[in-house]
Amino acid sequence: MVAGTPQPPASLPPPRTEVGALGWAKHNLFSSQFNSALTVVFGIAIAAALWFGLKWVLVDANWTVIVRLGGRFIIGQYNTEAACAGQNCFWRPQASLLLIAALMGMAWGVVGAGVMRQIALVIGVGAAAFALLPYSMDTMGMDVRLLLAANLPALALGWALGRYTPLGTVRNIPILGVVIFLLTLVLLRGVPGVSLLQGVPGVSLLQPVRVIYWGGLMLNLILAVGGIAVSLPIGIALALGRRSSLPVVKTVCVVFIEVFRGVPLITLLFMSQTLVPLAFPEDFPQNSLFRAGVVITLFSAAYMAENIRGGLQALHPGQVEAARALGLAGWQTTMFIELPQAIRNVIPAIVGQFIGLFKDTSLVYIIGMLDIVEIGRAFILGNVEYRASARELFVFVAVVFWIFTYSMSYVSGRIEEHMGVGRR
Amino acid sequence: MRYGGTAMAISPKGLTYQGVPVWRHARVIQWAAQIVSGVLVVALVVWFFANIVNAVQERNIPHGFGFLAKEYQTPIGEHFIPYESDDTFLYALGVAASNTVIVAVAGVVLATILGIFIGIARLSSNWLVSRLALVYIEFFRNVPLLVQLLFWFFIVLTLPVEQEAYSVPGYLYVSNSGISVIMLAPTGLLSSSLWCAMVALAVIVGIFVNKALSRREAETGKASYPLILGWASAIAIIAVSWGVIAAVVGDAPLAISQPEPQGRFMRIAGGFTVRAGLLVLLLGLVIYTAAFIAEIVRAGIQAVSRGQIEAARALGLSTAETLRSVTFPQALRVIIPPLISQFLNLTKNSSLGGAVAYSDLTSVALTMTQTAPAVSIFILIMAAYLAMSLAWSLIGNLYNRHVDFRGA
Repeated sequence: MVAGTPQPPASLPPPRTEVGALGWAKHNLFSSQFNSALTVVFGIAIAAALWFGLKWVLVDANWTVIVRLGGRFIIGQYNTEAACAGQNCFWRPQASLLLIAALMGMAWGVVGAGVMRQIALVIGVGAAAFALLPYSMDTMGMDVRLLLAANLPALALGWALGRYTPLGTVRNIPILGVVIFLLTLVLLRGVPGVSLLQGVPGVSLLQPVRVIYWGGLMLNLILAVGGIAVSLPIGIALALGRRSSLPVVKTVCVVFIEVFRGVPLITLLFMSQTLVPLAFPEDFPQNSLFRAGVVITLFSAAYMAENIRGGLQALHPGQVEAARALGLAGWQTTMFIELPQAIRNVIPAIVGQFIGLFKDTSLVYIIGMLDIVEIGRAFILGNVEYRASARELFVFVAVVFWIFTYSMSYVSGRIEEHMGVGRR
Repeated sequence: MRYGGTAMAISPKGLTYQGVPVWRHARVIQWAAQIVSGVLVVALVVWFFANIVNAVQERNIPHGFGFLAKEYQTPIGEHFIPYESDDTFLYALGVAASNTVIVAVAGVVLATILGIFIGIARLSSNWLVSRLALVYIEFFRNVPLLVQLLFWFFIVLTLPVEQEAYSVPGYLYVSNSGISVIMLAPTGLLSSSLWCAMVALAVIVGIFVNKALSRREAETGKASYPLILGWASAIAIIAVSWGVIAAVVGDAPLAISQPEPQGRFMRIAGGFTVRAGLLVLLLGLVIYTAAFIAEIVRAGIQAVSRGQIEAARALGLSTAETLRSVTFPQALRVIIPPLISQFLNLTKNSSLGGAVAYSDLTSVALTMTQTAPAVSIFILIMAAYLAMSLAWSLIGNLYNRHVDFRGA
């Protein structure tokens, strides 16, 4: 600094009404007369709603209906005598949960810190936390609690496998995911003839459990996970087919998409139980859960196709031209240039469709399956003394759904951030 | 691409087309792909169809559409067009379809209004209002409609019975069978329909006067008060026709109808009544769909470039005027296509009416399956839903053409 240059006077601090909490309130709550009026009116309304809402949740509401149903919300009638005669099959869904916790731990170990760690910890710690529910609140036995608590070691084991063994590669995670999903289905469905106690009639380790007894959140999750995994590739194929220059392929795809998008899912589910069994030979192996899963998947795939078509259409034609000019073949252009960009651009829409699919799993009530919603409704309709608790029941179910769906949109937000969507 | 040689030939290399081996000729491969996929699809459809025909004959399953002319013999809970139990299946399906159309149209109108308000609230500069809108959207969008419907359904069930309704006697009754409010009801068919025709005429005249005076104002610069005079002419026609009809026919076209407990069972009659099933279904559909529409509206408004709003403010338009005449018309272009698909979703979601005791198309069809072939009924109602979807797409396309860039 040159000597003699006059120093600018020290600037005054900003007025107290412009900074800090006061300044924030002035700009965000009381920026005009209209806004001030809105703030006051809505402030009073929110305060009243919070007061009455909290009073209801903590004092007035009778949550015993939730306690009474307890594990039914999670696995439905799976461990009842009717489903699994002569033994209690509660351990089979729990074993599946352990596998899933291990897989999540492994994904965390492979990918490292980040959103994967959050998912893994929420699943592992969340499941283990159920083991600590006070005895007065639930009738879970020690065996159930121990298996729940075992999710933490399973998570740790998975993490170690992912981190320190050659098993843990990014490519292995989806493969293991498919394997564990199929293993879960086998575990839940059971295998006839696998018996530990030879000669004891009616007792086998994996006694078959008919799918009509699968229920609760477990059913919603199985349908949703299977549907999500399969509807995306089918949706991509349909989207490509719809843009195809081959008239026959195009027509088939357009008709399929428009029909599945044009009718309500519950009519399709109903048809899946009346018409589809007739469409296959009588000895064709099939069950209602599988048919429901197929219908939900195809329904979702039709919407998925439209989302992906949107992404493909938004792609600049120069991308394809450049790829062709570089000598890439048609399928290479599609696989490595068009699809990755198109899908990345419509991630929010795709996740929105996944969330829609998860919500749609609640519609299986139409074919008599007891998912988490229907099991609650059936309980209320069957027990008149709990009729007044319907409010508590459906608030609980809504919150359960909300936790899952909101987590999905949160994870999608993190993935988008990671891929830098909209930041180029 | 240029191909040499004759069209089809057998050369030392094998079978060629235009000089290129057939298995490498793009057009041949495409045609082969089409034929193979086409044959596969047709074969699959034929196989399914054959299996179905076979099963229907072997197991003696009822089929066909002959039942449509028979009497349905079952009451329909709620209907807006006359229906008796001895009407045919076909007519009963029509009644059920009208129920679905009514709930769809009412739901679309209400959900759009609520959704626009919440979408604008989401963009409010007021932190509290925008957070509140966010909480609304994130909650109702992420919870299955069925859960919401059942929640409202059991809330309404816990209301008192009709005879002990919460009420403002003569004006409003709220009970577990629905809501009744005071309203203006038509008195006679002749006077009411005459007057309705006059109201329609008044609207047309009002719009014509408004347009003509606006043009005059724009051309000559003289103050012509198009808005005031347009409304005045319309209201004058409505009022005069009311007086004339009342004097000539003998009774006023509309009269106040008050809901009142009547008869031995003290059931509420008169006034405007929304029965519980429709009420719950509408409530659930509107709250659920409005959350989606709000997000569409928000995205649409945010898509309008900032400069447009700044220019409007620089021209001296108020915030409300900017929103109405600058932002919204431009946002509409972005909003309309996804909005239409929400209308479509709402129409399809009304098929959950059965869960809340509303006799919509699907719930009536489900009841019918007990006395008629299920597959035939469901083919019919799926066709009906497809027709409704197409109708929404058509309306959307027409409107889209209307708001699209013109003469640019």
